[in-house]
Amino acid sequence: MNHRGGWELIKNTWQSWIQHRGFFFLLAFGWMLPLLVYLFIWMAAAGDGSIAGLTQESLAGYYLLLILTNQLTYATTNWTVGDNIRYGQISRWLLQPMSPIYHALSQEIAGKIVFMLFSVPITGLLALIIRPQLNLDGVQILRFMPALLLAWGLRFFWGYWLALLAFWSTRADSLLALQDSLIFLLGGHLAPIALLPKTMQVIARILPFRYMSAFPVEILTGQLSNQEALVGFAIQAGWTVAAFLLYRWVWVHGVRRYEAVGG
Amino acid sequence: MAEPIIQVSHLTKVYRVPERAPGLAASVQSLFKPQYRGVEAVTDISFSVQAGEMIGLIGPNGAGKTTTLKMLSGLLYPTSGEAVVAGFTPWARQPDYLRRISMVMGNRSAMNWDIPPLDSFRVISQIYRVPTNQYRQTVDELIATLDMGELLKKPVRNLSLGERMKCELVAGLLYQPDILFLDEPTLGLDVAMQRRLRDFLKAYNQKQAVTVILTSHYMADVAALCPRVMLIHHGQLIYDGALQALAVRLAPFKLVKLQFSARVVNFEDFIAQFPGVEQLPMENGLRTLRVPRADVALVTARLLDSLPVADLAVEDPPIEAVIDQIYEEGVL
Repeated sequence: MNHRGGWELIKNTWQSWIQHRGFFFLLAFGWMLPLLVYLFIWMAAAGDGSIAGLTQESLAGYYLLLILTNQLTYATTNWTVGDNIRYGQISRWLLQPMSPIYHALSQEIAGKIVFMLFSVPITGLLALIIRPQLNLDGVQILRFMPALLLAWGLRFFWGYWLALLAFWSTRADSLLALQDSLIFLLGGHLAPIALLPKTMQVIARILPFRYMSAFPVEILTGQLSNQEALVGFAIQAGWTVAAFLLYRWVWVHGVRRYEAVGG
Repeated sequence: MAEPIIQVSHLTKVYRVPERAPGLAASVQSLFKPQYRGVEAVTDISFSVQAGEMIGLIGPNGAGKTTTLKMLSGLLYPTSGEAVVAGFTPWARQPDYLRRISMVMGNRSAMNWDIPPLDSFRVISQIYRVPTNQYRQTVDELIATLDMGELLKKPVRNLSLGERMKCELVAGLLYQPDILFLDEPTLGLDVAMQRRLRDFLKAYNQKQAVTVILTSHYMADVAALCPRVMLIHHGQLIYDGALQALAVRLAPFKLVKLQFSARVVNFEDFIAQFPGVEQLPMENGLRTLRVPRADVALVTARLLDSLPVADLAVEDPPIEAVIDQIYEEGVL
């Protein structure tokens, strides 16, 4: 482990990313749009009453928090991992006495800060307009924190091991697109899990995708009973460990196949 | 002799390359049934290097030079064979090994292009855990030697190729590695810049006693820097020794350049006395003879005795011509 180097790397990546903040702000805006669209659709569907126990106000709270959670857990870096392998750019990282995952992590952390600079004020502004209903209590917030961290870890390592398949196949990033689609479908984006048909709810609660985005929000908005939250944490932790082990395995075997093209 | 710092035995690298004929039909076919071919980039190479040596790895494009360096720096796993560098197996990529080596690539950047070089240097010094005092001193020294005060505040993407190469060198040297792998360090640089980098590398090698293996297509680099060269061709090590000895072996003749003070009528008859001697086309009134090394003393003595010689010089054929001959013919 090389935390000193990692920390310095985060500072530098942040400095270089903030130079391109316009680009990242636009990206963040792009990610926000589909969620806003579905927020308005479900708000219209709920009308003055409620739908599966969710009122207009609680739907607004759910989706606004989902916008933030989604951006905090979205691992943008994974999209560049494949290119770095394909074009031989990880060569310079492999030469350094520090695991190349630090480079991905530093971009993750630096990126989150840049995205939040945009997303927090915008969601704040939206909250003033659509008046969400949020009953936050201490226990929910305390549970939300680890759930958010695990959601990020799961989403990051899951995407990272998929991206590392570039060691075998040069266009592995289509799998990342598939991951995004599944999160959209089963991760509470298209609709809160509670609004999905029963079979899909079961599938969503088993597969990892809900635990990458909607799960922390469900906890924070108080949609889950104690038991549901506990089971959710267990499944989330299990998938996170699995994603990490998959990353380790794919990395150790993939790097042996690395051909360091170019130069 | 001391224990060698680099010991390479029977190193081989075979790349698995996907292959398909051009055209849409072939690309559809390769979708379902990809074809692969093994390409031997490096075949059964063995050599050893003593600490402090400066070695030139030469050979035509695609000969296997860079592949060899990539295996030694731990970037590539070999298909077979072994290497021990400074007591480590390179491709295990242990941090203690990576701290002792540096690989500077002429066409790959170790810098973050968005920020000024000094910021990149800082990150690198932290990654390599260089103590702050030592970092300041090393970088100041390198910056002064390479004369790069002005360019330190500009983002790397705004630097010229030569300026960037200086930065790459500083980035590669600031943690004071013991072993330096330089892959085409002078690629694309102008002649003056090449010379300055060469001077710098030579001085650095002598002062810091680092072991250097460099690849280059410019013979001037190799001739100026490397007492020992290794010639790789089609993945095989076909020569390992002094550059000059390579020239002697390949070109067993010298060039005798002549200028006469008066007209010489029967010069052709004179040459005919020596069966091994050949006259090359005349340039600017200068006659050039190709003389077997063994006959040089005799031929020059006779020339001076019997002809009105104003000026005479004995030279080795240019190294480029010699190397070109091997690249073309592929044999020694």
